[in-house]
Amino acid sequence: MDDIENELRIPQEQESDRFSVDSALDPASAKKAKLPLPNIPLLKRKRESGFHESTRLCLEQIREAMLYHRWEEAAEHMAYFHQILEDTTHNQEVQHKELIWRMGIEILHHLPNSKLEDYNNIYERMKHSVTKQYLKLCLEQSFHLLLTGHLQEAKNTLSVAESWRHGKETAAQAKEAILIKAYRSLLDYVMWCEKKENSSNTDFADTDEPQSMHNYFRQATVNLKEVFKNPGVWDPFILSYVEMMEFYDDQEEALRVLNDYAYDNSFPPNPNAHVYLYQYLKRHEAPPKKLIKVLRILHALVPSHTLMIEYCCLLLQSDKTKKALGVTVDMLDYACWRNNLEIWNNLKLIIEKLQSEDDFKETVSEVMSERMDWWPALHFTTFHAAQDQKENPELWKVKAPLAKVLCPGMTLRYCEPRRTT
Amino acid sequence: MEEELAADYTEACSRCSEVQWGVTDSGLFFCRNCHNVIERAHVDVDTTAPGTTRVSSVRKGPRVKKAEGGRQWMVCEGFQFILKSQAEALVKLGVDPQFKDEVLLRLWRLYLQKTHQAYTLTPVRSVCFRMRDPGSDSGSGLSSASGLGSGPDSGSGPDSGSGLDSWFGSDSQVSDSCSAAGRPGPSSAGSLGSVGSVGSLGSVGTVGSAGELSDWSMGSVDSDAYVSPSGKRRSRRSLMSMRKTLALLHVALVWSREKMGLIQLLRLVQLGLVPYINSYQCFPEDMKLNNRDGLIFRVQSIPTYSRIHSESKDLIKFLRLPAFPPISSQTWLHPLNLSLRLVSELNLPDEMSEWVEFVLDQADLMTPERLTLDPSSYRLPHYELLAAAALIVSMKLLFGLDDRTEWELSTEASSEDSERVFSLRRWYRLLHKALLRGRRRKLQLKARKQWLPDKPFYFSQKQKIVALKRRRVSEQLTSCFKRLSSEAHGAPDSPAQGGGASGAHFLWGQSPEADGRSMSHMTLRGGAKIKQTDLLQEENYWFAPFLHCRRCRGHLSPLTDRLPRMFLWVLQLFSFVLDLEPDVIFESVVSLERKLLRKQKPRTAKKRRRHERDKDKRRHKRRKVKEKEKQRRQKRRRKQ
Repeated sequence: MDDIENELRIPQEQESDRFSVDSALDPASAKKAKLPLPNIPLLKRKRESGFHESTRLCLEQIREAMLYHRWEEAAEHMAYFHQILEDTTHNQEVQHKELIWRMGIEILHHLPNSKLEDYNNIYERMKHSVTKQYLKLCLEQSFHLLLTGHLQEAKNTLSVAESWRHGKETAAQAKEAILIKAYRSLLDYVMWCEKKENSSNTDFADTDEPQSMHNYFRQATVNLKEVFKNPGVWDPFILSYVEMMEFYDDQEEALRVLNDYAYDNSFPPNPNAHVYLYQYLKRHEAPPKKLIKVLRILHALVPSHTLMIEYCCLLLQSDKTKKALGVTVDMLDYACWRNNLEIWNNLKLIIEKLQSEDDFKETVSEVMSERMDWWPALHFTTFHAAQDQKENPELWKVKAPLAKVLCPGMTLRYCEPRRTT
Repeated sequence: MEEELAADYTEACSRCSEVQWGVTDSGLFFCRNCHNVIERAHVDVDTTAPGTTRVSSVRKGPRVKKAEGGRQWMVCEGFQFILKSQAEALVKLGVDPQFKDEVLLRLWRLYLQKTHQAYTLTPVRSVCFRMRDPGSDSGSGLSSASGLGSGPDSGSGPDSGSGLDSWFGSDSQVSDSCSAAGRPGPSSAGSLGSVGSVGSLGSVGTVGSAGELSDWSMGSVDSDAYVSPSGKRRSRRSLMSMRKTLALLHVALVWSREKMGLIQLLRLVQLGLVPYINSYQCFPEDMKLNNRDGLIFRVQSIPTYSRIHSESKDLIKFLRLPAFPPISSQTWLHPLNLSLRLVSELNLPDEMSEWVEFVLDQADLMTPERLTLDPSSYRLPHYELLAAAALIVSMKLLFGLDDRTEWELSTEASSEDSERVFSLRRWYRLLHKALLRGRRRKLQLKARKQWLPDKPFYFSQKQKIVALKRRRVSEQLTSCFKRLSSEAHGAPDSPAQGGGASGAHFLWGQSPEADGRSMSHMTLRGGAKIKQTDLLQEENYWFAPFLHCRRCRGHLSPLTDRLPRMFLWVLQLFSFVLDLEPDVIFESVVSLERKLLRKQKPRTAKKRRRHERDKDKRRHKRRKVKEKEKQRRQKRRRKQ
């Protein structure tokens, strides 16, 4: 229960953020607000040797060529820039190498005749000369291999990176190491998926197939389990893990992982975690009470989420009409749902249901008291009336009577039928 | 066992560019760094295509570590090799072959003698000798130059070297007696070309003492006389330096009156046609450099014009050279001839040369006495700068260059027969386009200049691995991008115009790659103010405002707001053509103007006095103050 309270506190913080933006408009705090100015590095040194002058000019030329997308010219200059790697006078080798890595790869991306070997060439050279960035380079290289459809090679690259040890350098790259592990497992999962598809097609003719498929499954799940112990946003990894677990009918483990992911306090607040949990529970036909519990937290995190429609239906089913009213009105606070017929229909349904009760007026005014001053402008102007009548007359028919109910004391132009029609 | 097997294989690993091979149990090679297992196969190795490296051969047998020894040598020997290669490059570029043997060699010998390194009875002994072997030092300083040849008996050159020969001849008995005291030098070898045979340095140290040293200290014997223990270059005047090789070349070129000024020499150095950067590569195999020698011989920039000029002056003073051969109007170095080249380079009408001559004549700079190096004052004229300054001053005389007169004149010129009359506006438009193009070319050339030696520089085994790996990585990446860019363009780009040895930045005429049409045949009549008589009068000619300063440096930058834009543009044009800072050119223009004023004053003093009386008094006062200040400054400069 504590967890939920913590989760619920978060939207308040977000709102306070919004206030701070408003308050930044008054002059006293505007002075404090500092705009981020571009920090242009001064390349020229006071007394530079001819070698440094040449490399500086070359770098400036490459920058300019890249800025104006003249990639062939940039590649040409790049061929002359590599002499900077042999610069021994300053302790800037790492920066120089990173420059060459980043610029080289960027230029290759834009050259029509660049080949995979060129990419691999740069990556391999850099990997073994910039050990501080080894894992990052491996990850980037595998992404590029994936992009070109070399699944197995990408996985091999990641496997090599996983087993790489280089004293203190490895320890400093702990976060990258976790990422590498996660992505390798994800690739295992992708291969598992391929096998699964094959086996369903070939009707288990090959007896070796399920075995290797299980191998991939095992490799992936063991690693992923480790990865999930680290706080972070692991959305695609969680999904693949759950899918494999479901395939092998390990419901308990899947539920445990999803629950941990959604409710562990050390993880950053993540609406998707609750969405996944909800979807899983729904798939496995959990009782509505459980579903409502999950969606309640999601409502606190993202009141405009699509799942709120389902939440509303669930609430209505379990006779929590007042709550459903609150949820629906919350959704309508957001411009994205303004013209959605379904929600207005829902609202109409809820109002109709409530009208039979005694404290109908209090309930409505309770919900609407905060919104009285801005809802008419958001939903019920003359412009909206004209637009709705023209584009979506059905919506207008639902909205017009509701306007009178929700804003009883006001005379709204919206409700007047257009004279011209 | 494993190490022995793998030791012979020195190819770089295709994955990590490391050379650390091991052999697995199954006999395959693997990289100790990245655990990359490679195949053993007999395939030709193509280093340009990474990823295809394979073992080409495997030789079994015990590994014999070759001791990295090397001959003992002195720093001045190194410089001798460098001077030799520079002189050979100059001869290849069209300098008279006698320049090397008759002039440069003699100057170098004179230098060695004056610094007591050779050809002397009291040779300097560096700290090294005394530390190692105080007994066997007979003729050690001399022997370093023993291969230089015996000097005066090599036959005197016909014209260029004769003066120097006679001068040097007066000291000849010293070197004669020297070689007699040491060992008889090879008398037939009378040229710098015989430097390669300097191999008989047996008297300096013994092999046994060399064996005790680590491979780190294998290098020249006397480098600590040049470099302090903290790694700083000693700045004693007499010590040889890389800059001084250029100064020596410059002095020798002026002496032999060759067709090459200092600016052109520096341009050739910049283009790499005269070895300077990484010139230590011309050393023979067994001359090893250590890190101290690296500080002496490795340079990573090309010195400025003024630096070399002042070094040349110092050198002339130090060598106490006699009067140089006179620079007459037939000599290439004469400012008039140099300015002719500039006139055609800048597409100005040929008539301009008359005006340059007039200006030089007015400043009394046409006679050989004024242009030849004077032994009493050791003033080495800036020939090329003088020519440029004379051209700028004559342009000021003809066109005003004050942002007003020249445009008025151009309007007049275009109203007349526009094909024949020179219009400065048209010239400016043409030149400005060419200047922008040329600047871009120069920038590209500068950005693409490669500074690194063919072989990476290192002086210990540990550094060798790092340096070689760096070089491999950089080579592989370079070849990768070279291939990509050449594929995109179809063919490798040709060297940009203006990079040739001729030193021409622009090309004028009809040819397709020319910068524009030639204007050399045009006449100044109608497009310039050529009729006025008293040209240096205040209403005809403007002077840059005088700034009070102690040292004559950096005058231009505080003045840029007050000087006419056209004049500044002309300065920039000259700065581009001459590869000099605009400051330097401005200085020379101002000093030439001062000379003109000084010459003119006695002649027109009466006239001017009469003229000035008519003018208002304020102006009169201001002028007087100005002149006084100028004179005061002249005096101060003379004192300095």
